[in-house]
Amino acid sequence: MDMMIHFKEMDNKLYGFVEGEIDTFTASRLREELEAVKITEGLEIELNLSKVNYMDSTGLGIFVAFYKRALRENGKVKLVGLSNRLQRLFEITGLSDLMDIETDKKVELRK
Amino acid sequence: MKQLESQYEKILSDYMFDQSEKNLYIAQNFTRQLIQKNISPEDVVNIHKNAVGKIFPDRVGEDQPAYDFLIEVMVHYGMAHREHQSLLQIQAEYEMEMKIATNIQKTLLKTVVPQLSSIDIGMISIPFRKMNGDYVHFLHDREDYLSVAVTDVVGKGVPAALCMSMVKYGLETLEYAYKDPSYVLEVINRVIEKGVDDSMFVSMFYGCLDIQNSIFSYASAGHEPALHYSAKQGKFFSLEAKGLLLGVLSESKYSYNEIFLEDKDIVVMMTDGVTEFRSREDLNSREIITSLIVENKHVSAQQLCNILYKQIEKILDFKLSDDFTVVIIKN
Amino acid sequence: MTFKSSVEIITEWDIVAARQLGRDEAKALGFGIVDQARITTAISELARNIYLYARVGVIEVEKVETDVEKKIVVIATDQGPGIKDVRQVIEDGYSTSGGLGAGLPGVNRLMDSMVIQSVVGEGTTIRAEKRLR
Repeated sequence: MDMMIHFKEMDNKLYGFVEGEIDTFTASRLREELEAVKITEGLEIELNLSKVNYMDSTGLGIFVAFYKRALRENGKVKLVGLSNRLQRLFEITGLSDLMDIETDKKVELRK
Repeated sequence: MKQLESQYEKILSDYMFDQSEKNLYIAQNFTRQLIQKNISPEDVVNIHKNAVGKIFPDRVGEDQPAYDFLIEVMVHYGMAHREHQSLLQIQAEYEMEMKIATNIQKTLLKTVVPQLSSIDIGMISIPFRKMNGDYVHFLHDREDYLSVAVTDVVGKGVPAALCMSMVKYGLETLEYAYKDPSYVLEVINRVIEKGVDDSMFVSMFYGCLDIQNSIFSYASAGHEPALHYSAKQGKFFSLEAKGLLLGVLSESKYSYNEIFLEDKDIVVMMTDGVTEFRSREDLNSREIITSLIVENKHVSAQQLCNILYKQIEKILDFKLSDDFTVVIIKN
Repeated sequence: MTFKSSVEIITEWDIVAARQLGRDEAKALGFGIVDQARITTAISELARNIYLYARVGVIEVEKVETDVEKKIVVIATDQGPGIKDVRQVIEDGYSTSGGLGAGLPGVNRLMDSMVIQSVVGEGTTIRAEKRLR
C-alpha cells in the first residue's frame, strides 16, 4: 500500500500525477502534499488520477478540501484520468456536478 | 543498590570462572530484576565497572577510563529509555480514555430499532475500528410513519465519532420535519458545513415510509443508493437520488423521490463499507448483495441483515476494510 | 556555604567549558561517577538549548553545602525568545525530543528538580538542582 504524487509546471499550468492507493494510511501524506501547493490567482491545476487504483472516502475528502481551497484562492482544479470506479465514486457523492472531472476515456481521446 | 551490586559481582565472578550457559541464564534472570527495579543503563555500567574492579584488582586503572566513557554514553541512552517508559504510561492513559470515549459513543449513538406490527425492520452496524463512523437514526410516529437516516462520516475514528454526535442532535431537532427527506438533508447540510473543517463530510440516505399508504419517499446526500426489491417483478431497482455530500457547500439542494411499495417488497439501505470490496475488486459487489437477498428473501429483516454480514465477511476472507452498516425494511 | 561560578555560552565550544565546570564542581562536592555524568549531561543539554535557541546566555553552577544537605544548583539564563508554553516543553513526547529522550524533559529526569521561568520576548531562566545522597 503506497501512494506517490509528483508535480510538473508547464505553460503556467500545474500538473499533478497521483499514483497508488489512497486510503486512511496514505491520505495524510497526500493532504500534506496538496496543502503545500501554492495557489496563485488564476492558476490552473490538473490532477491526473489514472494511476490511482484505489481510493476510499478519506481520499475523496482530501480532493474536496483542495478543491474548496482553490475556489477560495481563485485557482482552478481539474481531475483527469478517472477510472470507472472512481468516476462512479464522484457521481454517487454528487461531486461530479461540482468539480471539473474527466474520465479516462476523454483523456485518451484527446491524445 | 548495594545488594544488587554484590549480587552482580557474584554472578559475574561465577561466569568468569565457568563460562557456562547456566551462568548466563542466571544473568538473564538477574537482568529482569534490574529492569523491574528501573535501574538505568548508566547504573548498570557502573555496577559492572565496580564488579570488574573487585574481581580483578590488579587490572584497575587500565580499563576504568573506558568504563567512565561508557557511563557517559549510557546516560543519554538512559534518558531515551526513561522517556520511552513514560510514553508507555501515557499511551496506557490514552487507551483508557479511548475506551471510555468508545463506551460513551456507544451509549450516545445507540440505535434502537423500532418494533412495528405492520412492517419488519432489521439493522446491523459493525465498526471497522473501535469507533463507528456509521450511524443509523430511526424515528416513527405510531404505525403511520417510519423514517430512517443511514449516515457515514468520511474519515474514521475519533473525529468521525465527534462529527456523528452533531448529526444525531441535528436529526433530533428535526423531528418535526421527519416526513420531508429533502428538507432534512438541507438543514443538516448547513449544520455540518458551518461546524466542521473542509475535509470532513457526511453522506446520508434519508427515507420515510408512509406505512398506511405504502409510499417510500427518500433523498440522498452523496450516499450509496439504496436497493428496492420488487417482489411482484422479481427485480431490483437502484434508488438513485441526486445530491451532494453533506458539509461541502452551504446551499445544497436535495431531490425528493418516492416509490410505491407493494406487498413483500424489500428496501435495503447500506453504507459503502458494504458495497466496497477492496480486497476483491474482481467481484461485483452489487450482484452478490442482490443475489444474497433473493436467496434469503423469506427470512426476517434482521436475519437477512445478519446473513448479508456473515456472507460478505466470508467472501472478503474476514478482511472488511470499513464500517459495515445495513438497514432492511420489509413491507 | 555557597560557591558560585559561571560560563558564558557564545560559541559551541563554550558548551564544553560549561560541562567541565559542572563536572569539576560535582566531583568536588562528592558525587559519584554516574551522577557526575548525569549532572554534566544535564548542563550540556541546557547549554545546547541556549546555543541553539537563544544564541547567547550564561550557565551558572552553584555548590551548596549546609549542615543538612549538599547539593549542586545549575542555573541557565538567556535573553532569547522565551518559551510560550512551559508545561508543554517539559512534557514527554515524540515531537519534543524526536524520540531521543533529550531536551528539557531529559534534564528534569537527570536532576532532582527543575523550575522554568520564562517571558516571551524577554528570555528564560531554568534552575535545576541535584542533592548528594
